[in-house]
Amino acid sequence: MDEFQEILQDFLVESFELIEQLDQDLVELESTPEDLELLNRIFRVAHTVKGASSFLNFDVLTHLTHHMEDVLNKARHGELIITPDIMDVVLESIDLMKSLLHTIRDTSSDSGIDVSECVKRLDIAAGGKGDVEVVAAQETSEEAAVEVEAAADMAEEEPNYDDMSDDEVEAEIERLLAERKAADKAKREAKKAASGDEEKQEVPTPSAPPPQAPSTPKQEPKREKKEESKAAPAVKKIPTTVEQTIRVDVKRLDHLMNLIGELVLGKNRLIKINDDVEERYEGEEFLEELNQVVSIVSLVTTDLQIAVMKTRMLPIGKVFNKFPRMIRDLSRELDKKIELVISGEDTELDKSIVEEIGDPLVHIIRNSCDHGIEPLETRLEAGKSETGTINLKAYNEGNHIVIQIIDDGKGLNPDILKDIAVNKGVITEKEADKMGEKEAFGLIFRPGFSTAAEVTNVSGRGVGMDVVKTNIEKLNGIIDIDSELGKYTSIKLKIPLTLAIIQALLVGVQEEYYAIPLASVLETVRISKDEIYTVENRSVMRLREEVLSLVHIGDIFEVERVFDDSEYAYVVLLGLAESKIGLIVDSLVGQEEIVIKSLGEYLQGIEGVAGATIRGDGGVTLIVDVADLIHMSKSIKSTINNDESATVAASNEKNSAADYKVMIVDDSKTDRTIMKSALDSMGISLIEAADGQEALNILKSGDHNFDAMLIDIEMPRMDGYSLATEIKKYSRYKNLPLIAVTSRTGKSDRMRGVEAGMVEYITKPYSPDYLMSVVKRNIKFNF
Amino acid sequence: MSNKLQEIISKQQEQQSPTMELIDDVVQLVGFEVGEEEYSVPILSIQEIIKPIEWTRVPQTPPYVLGVFNLRGSVIPIIDLRLKFGLSSKKHTEETRFIVMKDKDEVAGFVIDRLTSAIRLNKKDIGPAPETIRDEGSFIEGVGKQSDRILTILKVNKLLERDF
Repeated sequence: MDEFQEILQDFLVESFELIEQLDQDLVELESTPEDLELLNRIFRVAHTVKGASSFLNFDVLTHLTHHMEDVLNKARHGELIITPDIMDVVLESIDLMKSLLHTIRDTSSDSGIDVSECVKRLDIAAGGKGDVEVVAAQETSEEAAVEVEAAADMAEEEPNYDDMSDDEVEAEIERLLAERKAADKAKREAKKAASGDEEKQEVPTPSAPPPQAPSTPKQEPKREKKEESKAAPAVKKIPTTVEQTIRVDVKRLDHLMNLIGELVLGKNRLIKINDDVEERYEGEEFLEELNQVVSIVSLVTTDLQIAVMKTRMLPIGKVFNKFPRMIRDLSRELDKKIELVISGEDTELDKSIVEEIGDPLVHIIRNSCDHGIEPLETRLEAGKSETGTINLKAYNEGNHIVIQIIDDGKGLNPDILKDIAVNKGVITEKEADKMGEKEAFGLIFRPGFSTAAEVTNVSGRGVGMDVVKTNIEKLNGIIDIDSELGKYTSIKLKIPLTLAIIQALLVGVQEEYYAIPLASVLETVRISKDEIYTVENRSVMRLREEVLSLVHIGDIFEVERVFDDSEYAYVVLLGLAESKIGLIVDSLVGQEEIVIKSLGEYLQGIEGVAGATIRGDGGVTLIVDVADLIHMSKSIKSTINNDESATVAASNEKNSAADYKVMIVDDSKTDRTIMKSALDSMGISLIEAADGQEALNILKSGDHNFDAMLIDIEMPRMDGYSLATEIKKYSRYKNLPLIAVTSRTGKSDRMRGVEAGMVEYITKPYSPDYLMSVVKRNIKFNF
Repeated sequence: MSNKLQEIISKQQEQQSPTMELIDDVVQLVGFEVGEEEYSVPILSIQEIIKPIEWTRVPQTPPYVLGVFNLRGSVIPIIDLRLKFGLSSKKHTEETRFIVMKDKDEVAGFVIDRLTSAIRLNKKDIGPAPETIRDEGSFIEGVGKQSDRILTILKVNKLLERDF
């Protein structure tokens, strides 16, 4: 049974590959019906599938492909001219074949799909002859290749499988495998020939210029394709060559990618440690060596990462391939003349993205055909050429791939879009008034929105473009729409190259850090708080000509914010799909390469969090889900201009002397006791710490609300200056008075203290009264 | 600490190994305290026990989910059992530990106040949870009877189940 499963797997993989190429070939065939090589190729696909499926006992599929074969065989022998009508039937049968294969993949059986209708029409196309069986038998014996004969035999012997002995079955399997191998080899060679062998490119193109069928989409790479098909047989004569490719399970690549991810994290950590070491042992000789090792490791890691990423890359042509066929069908259905021009199909991107991008493109192109390109008469009246053009192109732009779909149709009218949206209740009139042109274009992505007056087969349900938006958001992509009325509509999808390892912008809010995928960051600006306006309870700002809504990251992530009196705010401008928003953060930390890790089942689906990453210091930083964030921002009330939180006010209220808290940081027990006794008479609460590290931990724990700190300068582990610098990094403690108590008396020492953020400088020895008065003054003691 | 634990376990195994009394009938548990109570979980559901390390808060979660921490490259949620069991939060002490438990693919760390000991119990000494608390939502698997005390055995899969 396992063996059968394995063969079935191979069969499916092969068939899907064959069919992908088939669509392309068939559309091409329509414009060049006498291209024998092309016909042969298509015939072979039908034949291979038939042979294998009959062996695997998929009767329905065999039945269908058998009749397809008939039609194609006739065409191949010149007994039949492929007209658009015949082509429709053939294409329909291929679609059926696809759905059969899908059913087989899902259920391991091909029942449940009715092919009799299609078979009937195939028969009619083939000339309505009743003796198809005979024709088929003849045709197979004509076929020269051994492998084909084997397959044909298979088809005939098929019903006897039950009577066969195990040995015989074994032999059958071997024979079939041999056939498959031969076919594989031929295919590989054909592929290799196509992949840019310079000499082969010079093979003369077919002599007779193909008569252009009226409603057939033309395709740029056609010439190349034809050369490929001419080149293929030429190469076949060359004896077996060394295998150049190897098929690898995607799971293995995923695993490899995960490992690289770990390596990247390790690298980040190494770099961080290197920096720390450099700071501490400045000028030491071994540093040079360490530096070298670190830079080699990071260089190799980066290269390795790129190399592995490349193994996962597929040309986008894999997706583009299906569009010529789609345009052909659509143009016939809609009775329009549409030409599809594809460019940049060699542009590569990650496999997982290739899988996601197909659906959105289908919807966009359908839309362009249905709503964009006008009917023939309208085009002529407008002085345009009869044939509408849709440009589908892909290119790289930095760390992104851009896919652009441009049609030269009627364009988008922002006013009409707004009217429709208001009528359908998608937006209110008030919202419509405030909308700019770009925002109005963005309306087409709203669910339930459709410009089509009536629902057609092709579009008009108001679902498609919403799918586009959702899928692109999933990929952290950006959608940009541009249009000129009566001239063109352009939809630009900007998608990051890969998903596993990304560049991120690290931002801080209070003591927390968050990573924002750089793909979604448009720019960062520093604005003065006066530039933030409140409109209907929402904060907004004006940036150049645009009005942006603002949201504070602290409001999204429930960060407890304490009053901060800084005049400025940092705004990270986020763009996702068609929307934009300004995110206010406390600080911008920098850009870092991060590896996305899941938070695990337990914390899955936390709104606003896309995952987590491990930073150079070993800590975990959460990654912002920009799509969620934009969504959440809509329901969050602005607190940007009233950030004084109630908790702080409450904790600052002093009812008795004991409510005041002062921390004493000194490594000497004696010194601490002296300070304590000096302050004892005030009746305030005193907390002790033996060094900077301990003091910092007490502060971080947040158990106490200190009103002041007395800090010794010379201490083990962390000295007073470093402690003061660390404390001042927390905006919560920006206003905490730090008082140095030290025996260092030099002026430069005092200067360093001030630089580190200390407000007073008391030199030892001191009088208890003096210490008390300084403390009283700083904590505003009034008891 | 985990070394010590290992020692205790191996010592216990040495004592018991000569008899090799029907291994199937014995459950090995690790005991720990949360608040005043002593609880235990099967030793096989414990991945490791570590000293508290820094964690990162995760927003939009109940208070007992402290956040996530980095366990040698894996991001793992950390849950405070004091808060989960309705006690007030307490500052971590020298004895506080993170117990990392796993059930199939799910892993999470739990903050406990103190480890007590590794315990071997005969299956026959384990009774069902008291009827009053034996409902679907209960964390209690059963109650182990020992000569001097009673031990609550927790359901690890229930602890690892997201309930928000």
